Amino acid sequence: MHAATASDAIGSRRVRVWDLPTRWFHWLLVAAFAAQWFTQDDARLLDFHVFAGYAIGCLLLFRVLWGFAGTRYARFASFAFGPRQGLHHLLEMLAGRHERHLGHNPAGSWSIFGLLALGAATVVTGLLTLGGAKQLGPLRGWLGYARGDTIGVVHKYLAWSMLALVALHLLGVLLASRAERENLALSMLSGTKIAPGSFHGVGAVAPVALAMLLAAAAGAWFYFRGYAAATPGQPYLPFKMAPLAQDATWNKECGGCHVAYHPSILPARSWETLLREQHRHFGEDLDLDDETVQALHDFAIAHGAESHATPLAWKIDSTTPAAAIPLRVTETHYWKHRHAELNAADWEKTKRFACDGCHLDAREGTFLPGAIRVGMAAPAAEKPR
Amino acid sequence: MTGRRFARLAWLGALLAAGIASPVCAAAVDELLKRYATEGAGNFSAAEGEQFWDRAVIDAKTGEPRKCSLCHTTDLRRTGKHAKTGKVIEPMAPSVNPKRLTDVKDIEKWFGRNCKWTLGRECTPQEKGNVLVMIRGR
Repeated sequence: MHAATASDAIGSRRVRVWDLPTRWFHWLLVAAFAAQWFTQDDARLLDFHVFAGYAIGCLLLFRVLWGFAGTRYARFASFAFGPRQGLHHLLEMLAGRHERHLGHNPAGSWSIFGLLALGAATVVTGLLTLGGAKQLGPLRGWLGYARGDTIGVVHKYLAWSMLALVALHLLGVLLASRAERENLALSMLSGTKIAPGSFHGVGAVAPVALAMLLAAAAGAWFYFRGYAAATPGQPYLPFKMAPLAQDATWNKECGGCHVAYHPSILPARSWETLLREQHRHFGEDLDLDDETVQALHDFAIAHGAESHATPLAWKIDSTTPAAAIPLRVTETHYWKHRHAELNAADWEKTKRFACDGCHLDAREGTFLPGAIRVGMAAPAAEKPR
Repeated sequence: MTGRRFARLAWLGALLAAGIASPVCAAAVDELLKRYATEGAGNFSAAEGEQFWDRAVIDAKTGEPRKCSLCHTTDLRRTGKHAKTGKVIEPMAPSVNPKRLTDVKDIEKWFGRNCKWTLGRECTPQEKGNVLVMIRGR
């Protein structure tokens, strides 16, 4: 190994240690991880979260390839230290005896392997969560809703572990920078480090870095191009699912006074009660004849929340106590939980309308993430159907 | 030139639509007027229908004034808005919305539902007849 102790003359000239693709990998990963962090838990931004996840997946794949095909210090072989060496380096560093490595030091190499592994696991569990809990994405249907939710918890813990490891990595960089009297974070930007005359720098490999950038730009364009084509009348919905079952009587009778909410937003027992009490329907006597009530009843029972036709339906069904009979979706625990963070100003913008004030797919009943614009969907709701 | 021509065409189109719609509309309304006559009503008056349309009734429970025009507006050629849900209500006038007054069952359903909400009681056959005659002329 090209190691020298800090007390040695560490050199007088700068040589390139990190090639361009390695550096861009590093900073793109930082950006994507930050994007992940700030888009978690917000259904409105799920498509950005998912895109950042794909980006991380691609970056990790690239880094693994580059670990074999890259320049000297990017190759795994140059920092394939055993765990004991890593621990030893860490303890020495904490004791104030830092051993300088031009490439990754043994402790740093373990944070890299750890971040690569955690990153891959987070991406995979993220895709499984999307495919299960939301029944969306390439792994749609691989898991059921409940399994998907469980994997979602694992996904979250993995992301937190990754954040913890990032913190350790930063701490390590700080300690090593102080010991070496060289800003190592800056080295990851410029690619250069101070080295003795006997060291040869590595090439920049700019074409590969350029290809990375082009691939990232092409990927972003491919994923988000729908937003560019969207118009106020035809907004872009990033996630799609098969249309839900429809019923002409339902659309006509319910849609006569309000959005014909799909029956999957409430349990069957709620619809039974609503139809039984049709003569006092939120202050109005619907005066429906028996035949119409029967038709509405049949449709509602077949397609209530228990049908799990949408992620929302599953959530409503699985979080509403069996004894509860919510007559409005706004009475459900799940609805309250999901709308708790909306502030008064947002409500002011939306309350003249029903769910379709924000949910672009309220009429279709799918209530998918990404199809939410707070107060923005209102003009569409004003238009007659 | 083209603007005037378009306006003339639009007029012709509207007249044609009204012409097609009116027989259907007439059939449903005639049937109902006959039915109301057998229930003791008669001499249906568009003027009385118009008065009835904009007459406010204080709701016993909420204390708020309610009237047909609250949701449907007084200009039946324009769209209205559901007082509670905000849903857009398409124009009542058959001249701009030929689907109106074409289905006996639908007309009776809406009379049943809306009279109870607006007046707190069912409408009399006379009131319904007056309103139908008024709407038909719009």
